Amino acid sequence: MSCYGFHIFFTKFTLSKCLDAVMVMGNSHLALTRTNKLAVIASHCQDSHFLYPSKSLGGGDGAADDVSSTRDGKYELLAVANSTIAAEIRNVLSKAEVRGNSTDTLLAGSLAKALCCILTNSHLVCLEQVIKAAEDCALQYMNFMNVIFAAQKQNILIDACVLDSDSGLLQQACDITGGLYLKIPQKLALAQYLLWVFLPDSEQRSQLVLPPPAHVDYRAACFCHRNLIEIGYVCSVCLSIFCNFSPICTTCETAFKIQLPQMVKPKKKKLKMPA
Amino acid sequence: MASLSEEVLLVVKKVRQRKQDGTLYLMAERIAWGPEGKDRFTVSHLYSDIRCQKISPDGKAKVQLQLVLHTGESTTFHFANESTALKDREAAKELLQQLLPKFKKKANKELEEKNRMLQEDPVLFQLYKDLVVSQVISAEEFWANRLGGLNNAEPAPYTNKQEVGISGAFLADIRPQTDGCNGLRYNLTTDIIESIFRTYPAVKQKYSENVPHNLTEKEFWTRFFQSHYFHRDRINTGTQDIFSECAKQDEKGLKSLVNKGVKNPLVDLLSLEDKTLDEGYGIKQALPSTSNSNKTVKESSNAAIIKRFNHHSAMVLAAGARKNEVPADQASETSSTDGNSRDSDFFQPPVKKVKLQEAIEYEDLQRENRQKTVALNLKKSDRYAHGPVPLQSQKYTTSQDIINAVNCIRHEMANYKPNLTQVMSSTAASSAVAALSPGGVLMQGGAQQAINQMVPSDIQGELKHLYVAAGELLRHFWSCFPVNTSFLEEKVIKMKSNLERFQMTKLSPFKEKLQRQYLGTNLTGHLEEMLQTAYSKFHIWQTRRMMRKT
Repeated sequence: MSCYGFHIFFTKFTLSKCLDAVMVMGNSHLALTRTNKLAVIASHCQDSHFLYPSKSLGGGDGAADDVSSTRDGKYELLAVANSTIAAEIRNVLSKAEVRGNSTDTLLAGSLAKALCCILTNSHLVCLEQVIKAAEDCALQYMNFMNVIFAAQKQNILIDACVLDSDSGLLQQACDITGGLYLKIPQKLALAQYLLWVFLPDSEQRSQLVLPPPAHVDYRAACFCHRNLIEIGYVCSVCLSIFCNFSPICTTCETAFKIQLPQMVKPKKKKLKMPA
Repeated sequence: MASLSEEVLLVVKKVRQRKQDGTLYLMAERIAWGPEGKDRFTVSHLYSDIRCQKISPDGKAKVQLQLVLHTGESTTFHFANESTALKDREAAKELLQQLLPKFKKKANKELEEKNRMLQEDPVLFQLYKDLVVSQVISAEEFWANRLGGLNNAEPAPYTNKQEVGISGAFLADIRPQTDGCNGLRYNLTTDIIESIFRTYPAVKQKYSENVPHNLTEKEFWTRFFQSHYFHRDRINTGTQDIFSECAKQDEKGLKSLVNKGVKNPLVDLLSLEDKTLDEGYGIKQALPSTSNSNKTVKESSNAAIIKRFNHHSAMVLAAGARKNEVPADQASETSSTDGNSRDSDFFQPPVKKVKLQEAIEYEDLQRENRQKTVALNLKKSDRYAHGPVPLQSQKYTTSQDIINAVNCIRHEMANYKPNLTQVMSSTAASSAVAALSPGGVLMQGGAQQAINQMVPSDIQGELKHLYVAAGELLRHFWSCFPVNTSFLEEKVIKMKSNLERFQMTKLSPFKEKLQRQYLGTNLTGHLEEMLQTAYSKFHIWQTRRMMRKT
């Protein structure tokens, strides 16, 4: 029994095509096994919102009318899912305020919501699928990492399908939880990629030949410039990372003795003792 | 001829070897024999080479002594002096008996140590096989660094075994067996004898006094067991037993132990008397009077047994503690038993204090002595929340762009109806499939399988051995720099030749083997690089040295 949480992050693109692909994927997932469940979350700068299952699904008549009107013998669940997603996304977009100041999306929040959804609904191993078109947001880093580690503890795999630019955070998420990370060269064939790579669950993936895991950049960023560094100085009191030596740590204001040896060995991470 | 600095311990004339007359010399480290009239020794054996000695039985006409070496060879000496042959031989035999064990231990110890090290550490064993057996380096070089502490008097720390204490029941373990005809056999092993000597130094003293001058060992022990000293009812009947003195000494010792008392002020042994309340509470008769004259025979023999029992236990414990004491301590112990109040007072207060402190203080109730730590005082804690995303890499979008984008999307999605039958074109799909198939754009990284899946495991094992061996040689090589002494110079040159030999005998055949098996991966590249670095360093050093000399 597995449950998918979809996240769709968008700023600009042909959203409808993307949604179509997502829906295809969702339908396929539901069709694979009777017990599979689906949840779709859309995340934008103010909110993350469950597209499916939607809270307003309670009403019977409207839905029934929709279903009966399709008239193509489609599996009911799929029909309901599709129409709900479509309706909700229209809803979300019409309600979203336009604010011209941020392009960030609430990734961590939606991941957290998805995790909760998974944990409340099913007991077993689950997959989360993140489709990302936006940039990484630095401000949500802590929350994001917390969500990743929580998912790892719960044995939930996070897969990422990236449309635009590589996301270091998602790469880390996939590496830590054991999921797949893929950057797609053609957005038009999104559905194909989704079905090929991300549809099988974790046991089946071991039998398939899938794209190899990308090399993850785990380098830390120095606190002063936010440059990614391989070798640096770490304050032994507050553990903040710097790229250059300074006699006083700017985070915790501890003073350090300078012991400059004759030959400076550059290839070591030095831990200095406080004075 | 032997160097005159060797100390000659015994000279025996008229000893024949291989039907030749000559003289036998026993020296500090070896035994040698030279023919009559000649200056040289024709036969010379180090004591460490001798495995054991044998003598001809007493009844034989020829009085002979045979030495058997470790190698299996044997040399026989025939003592031909008519009058003193037997005495000579006995003297030689005694001396050898004393000397051989000393040397035997040394030689065996080294070999034993080496064997033990090789057995305990399979990596070392493999290294030994790779380097010494294939003659890349010699065995002495191999053991040079490893046997550092062996020739010292103290054993290496990890071979320190615990001293075995004395079993309290060692006397009881000598169970006499009936001999069939009214006799008893006592089986004495060397362990039991040692225990007896350690526990009862008086017996040891008697032994060293009497054996082998007056009594043989067998006689001594027979007398020991026959004496009343050994048996329970130790009623001294004043016989001419050599052990009656021991009994008296034991009494004295027991008295002194009692007088010494216990040093712990919290333990009061004297209060542990058999105090009874009254008749009927555990005793049948009235309390005995304090005078000893009313003691029955049974009571006195019981008292004697109990006394012996206590004494035996005390001696066993004392023997266990005694061997760790330095002689100075024994002197102080005797001084305190003399009743010399000054010395015994010296020892009392510190011990008392320690005991009192132990009783008063509890370790976990003490105040914790934590180390001084630096308090954490974060001024800019939001730095931690920032992820590893560079600050300035984001594309700059104007607010107008954002607003336009959102409106655009809204328009688009206002009439959104999912059209799932035309999600993508077939060309797009097929190109995606091609990209995902092996060899496609997205599958490039996977072609590099892990090396350990492509190389057979025996090759891997061999490579590991090569690395270990090369590492060992390189370690010796690099430890020579900087080359300060002439010893290091020689070592460096030797190590370089060792490395070359290693490369020739081990590395090149391995490479050829890889090539024959069509293994494309370059497994030996790193090894060769390391060796090459070593060679170039050696070359530089050599040129520098030559420039210095010229």
